[in-house]
Amino acid sequence: MNLSGILVVAKPQFQAEVVESLNALPGAQVHQVDAASGRIVVVQEGADIHAEIDAIKRIKALPHVIMAEMVYHYLADDAHDYDTLPAELQDAPDAVPSCLNA
Amino acid sequence: MGISRRDFLKTSVAAGTAATVGMPLAKEAEAAVMTTEKDWQWDKAVCRFCGTGCGILVATRDGRIVATKGDPKAPVNKGLNCVKGYFNGKIMYGQDRLTQPLLRMTDGKFDKKGKFVPVSWDKAMDVMTEKFMAAFKEKGPTGVGMFGSGQWTVMEGYVAAKLWKAGLRSNTIDPNARHCMASAVAGFMQTFGIDEPAGNYDDIEHTDTAVLWGANMCEMHPILWSRITDRRLTHEAMRVVNLSTYGNMSSDIADTEIIFRPGTDLAIQNYIAREIVKRGAVNKAFVEKYCVFSTGPNDIGYGFRPKNADKFASAAEMVVVANEQEHTLDADEAIAQGKPVGTKVKQTNIATPDKHWHISFEDFAKGLEPYTLDFVAPLAKGDPDEPLDQFKTKLKLLADYYCDPKRKVVSYWTMGFNQHQRGTWVNEQAYMNHLLVGKQCQPGNGAFSLTGQPSACGTAREVGTFSHRLPADMVVPIKKHRDHAEHLWKLPPNTINPAVGSHFTKIMRDLEDGSVKWAMVQVNNPWQNTANLNHWIKAAREMDNFIVCCDAYPSVSAKVADLVLPAAMIYEKWGAYGNAERRTQHWRQQVAPPGEARGDAWILLEFAKRLKVKDFWGEQKVPGLKADGFEDNKLPSVLEAARTMGYDPEMSLYDALFATRENKAFKWPDPVSKGHANHIAEKEGWFVEKAMFEEYRTFGSGHGHDLAPFDVYHQDDVRGLKWPVVQKDGKWTETAWRFNEEYDPYCRKGSGFDFYGDFAKAIPTGNLDGITDPKPVPLPGKAKIFFRPYAAPVEQPNKDFDLWLCTGRVLEHWHSGTMTRRVPELHRAVPNAVCWMHPRDAEKRGLQRNDLVWVESVRGKVKVRIETGGRNRVPRGLVYVPWFDEGVLINKVTLDTTCPISKQTDFKKCAVKVYKA
Repeated sequence: MNLSGILVVAKPQFQAEVVESLNALPGAQVHQVDAASGRIVVVQEGADIHAEIDAIKRIKALPHVIMAEMVYHYLADDAHDYDTLPAELQDAPDAVPSCLNA
Repeated sequence: MGISRRDFLKTSVAAGTAATVGMPLAKEAEAAVMTTEKDWQWDKAVCRFCGTGCGILVATRDGRIVATKGDPKAPVNKGLNCVKGYFNGKIMYGQDRLTQPLLRMTDGKFDKKGKFVPVSWDKAMDVMTEKFMAAFKEKGPTGVGMFGSGQWTVMEGYVAAKLWKAGLRSNTIDPNARHCMASAVAGFMQTFGIDEPAGNYDDIEHTDTAVLWGANMCEMHPILWSRITDRRLTHEAMRVVNLSTYGNMSSDIADTEIIFRPGTDLAIQNYIAREIVKRGAVNKAFVEKYCVFSTGPNDIGYGFRPKNADKFASAAEMVVVANEQEHTLDADEAIAQGKPVGTKVKQTNIATPDKHWHISFEDFAKGLEPYTLDFVAPLAKGDPDEPLDQFKTKLKLLADYYCDPKRKVVSYWTMGFNQHQRGTWVNEQAYMNHLLVGKQCQPGNGAFSLTGQPSACGTAREVGTFSHRLPADMVVPIKKHRDHAEHLWKLPPNTINPAVGSHFTKIMRDLEDGSVKWAMVQVNNPWQNTANLNHWIKAAREMDNFIVCCDAYPSVSAKVADLVLPAAMIYEKWGAYGNAERRTQHWRQQVAPPGEARGDAWILLEFAKRLKVKDFWGEQKVPGLKADGFEDNKLPSVLEAARTMGYDPEMSLYDALFATRENKAFKWPDPVSKGHANHIAEKEGWFVEKAMFEEYRTFGSGHGHDLAPFDVYHQDDVRGLKWPVVQKDGKWTETAWRFNEEYDPYCRKGSGFDFYGDFAKAIPTGNLDGITDPKPVPLPGKAKIFFRPYAAPVEQPNKDFDLWLCTGRVLEHWHSGTMTRRVPELHRAVPNAVCWMHPRDAEKRGLQRNDLVWVESVRGKVKVRIETGGRNRVPRGLVYVPWFDEGVLINKVTLDTTCPISKQTDFKKCAVKVYKA
């Protein structure tokens, strides 16, 4: 699981509408809103970076969104993620990586 | 992870984000942050990846990095991160991290055909030094090479450059930055007589127009792109033009997308210049006061081996390589250069491609005459399915933007211009158009060369780790520069070798022909990043040579090496990088390197301890050396002079060059560390990074490259400083725009603008055909506006190899993927390289999306899957394959042609065929 903090800037007159659309997106939750500057803080939860990138693309595509970029990343404990890497990138520490002697 | 814990974390992440971008925090959010981050230690640092140079904050706990966030105080990124930057904290923790030296051995002895076996540092250093001394004794200073990096820290690059140039008297040291921005450097030096951009990133918030020339900023410089996007949406007049050989993500927000045929950017820029002249849009006051016109020879070859190429290239390769001797002008070149079609042009200036001379404005205008819209539009149109009239309208609009005196324009480029057979020319042309209309060196106006690597500017260029350079823009062939460097380095006269060494691709060629027999790799991956790889892989494995690869992970270069040394990564050492806007940024060691991994500077210093002054400062043979004050083909012995200066011949290069009395005065620990460790200083007993930085900055002080003292960059309120950094009212003050009197302390009073760079500032006079008066005329304070013609790419699609191949990067991966492929999220996002192809080109070949195909040129082939959709929209006739994936070594296919002036390889155009695997 990944958690990312995303800054979204919306045209101020449409802020309420944008907040509503953001909360309707899968895994997204609006946490803070600044009316004067149109800035919105969204926390995005995603199974992996694929989901997160898709999510930020969805956010950027929303009407009245001026920009959306990642700000904060929480490094969750993800030892199991290495199962998804190809074998040659998964050598045990302190051994001679097998690909070197292939 | 329980629900409550997750919600708690989310509150904390939200609060962290809000705080980062300067939004007020709710009370409960603040409490959440306090609890979550209670044992975290935050410190400022800089991103490991591209040349943008974003500031990030790194949190550590129990010796491990636990979080990263954009630095809200960093003026570059103002708290934002791109997807790569976001994962800075994870790149060190790949499972196959190298943690001990590995040597190829059989039965306990080094054997080039043996398997890698773990050895001690002592054993590794012993074998490496023995092999090094054998190569040096046989071949001299040109026989030992260093493949360096624009990802070296400033201090590492300085140690390497000093060891090679002052210690070994070898100029055969070159960074991978040669592949990245050498053409930009040559363009700056030829035009302004000094390197690096006049402007800075704040140009974005001042301009009305961003023109991207072969720079997919959306994927390669996402944070700068977010600033451009923001400007586009908040400034009514703002327009964005994306020029590229294929449609990409930067086109999504561009107002105009111009798809051009590879190499025709040369013609498009001349069309714009012709329009500027024809429409009377030349800013005469600016041009007359601050500029001169210039040109140079066209018969400069293509950067192949100058002779005996057929000993190494196959007959099929020689068809193109033979152009190095003689080139036949095609129909377009004939018009562009005002010569009959089919003219056979002997390439007489391959050794002097950079020579140039002053011409009149009338000659300049005459050179531009052929570049009418009717000539350029059909030549340059890159999408066969686009109507010609539509393409013409776009070119006219582009010319309007440059011509309009009320419109501010910034032109941006990276690899599209730099990786180009005429890369120096096309860089010079960008300045041509900006200087003609006087839109240069002012907020919102300027031609701005972006860089790909975090310290291509700071280390490769400013420290001068190239085969021809010394620190602060000095070069080895100029006596005055050598004298100055010898003075600062306290070397006997004539220690520094005046002969330019081998550039990156030439070191590979030298390994192939046996003239280099020992080479070291630091912070890069030459056996993945160099074009025409089959030759170099064979050279490494089958020739009698010894290759040392320092790396954090088992890269392709580690696989072909004889000795692999485990390197510390960015936050495991102290360092500094210099970004594309002249901003130097430092960081402290945050965590210890794993196992026996060590910083690259330590590896070089340990090596220097084993090398003795007497073996290097005696007489040395240097084949091809020819310079005033030197006997041909040799360097004199300077041992006697060295003795009188207090050097003992038995002394190590470590003691002679690095652990000097002055340097050892920089003690460790130092209050600037604020509790952070330093694995190098703890071993050496002195503060290596601080001493090296302070010594290095003596080169630039008072010469337009001034840097602040080491400690200033580490102050809590400093987020890097743009050089020249000079003291004003007791405060170290950066320079925002150079050559503009309003901002730049180096401009003469009352000058307005002052192009004070002094390189190549006295040139002969001539016309478009050549020199008429060889007497050098000085041009103080002036910039040069070059006329450069269109030249056709040396290899183009033909009936057997019917497609253009363009290579490059993707957002999620950094260069050869050595680091980013270890981040599971990034690996999963883009696990393998694909070959982007137009759906109709695929259909014509009976191919479908996801089919496995061969991409083949006369040099080699790779197997890869076809992608007909997705983020890149290639026109018919062109395919795009990124190079990050070692499973798809696309550089086996690419052509090793270079810009003859900059020696930078053109990775953007060669001819291939694609068929089902």
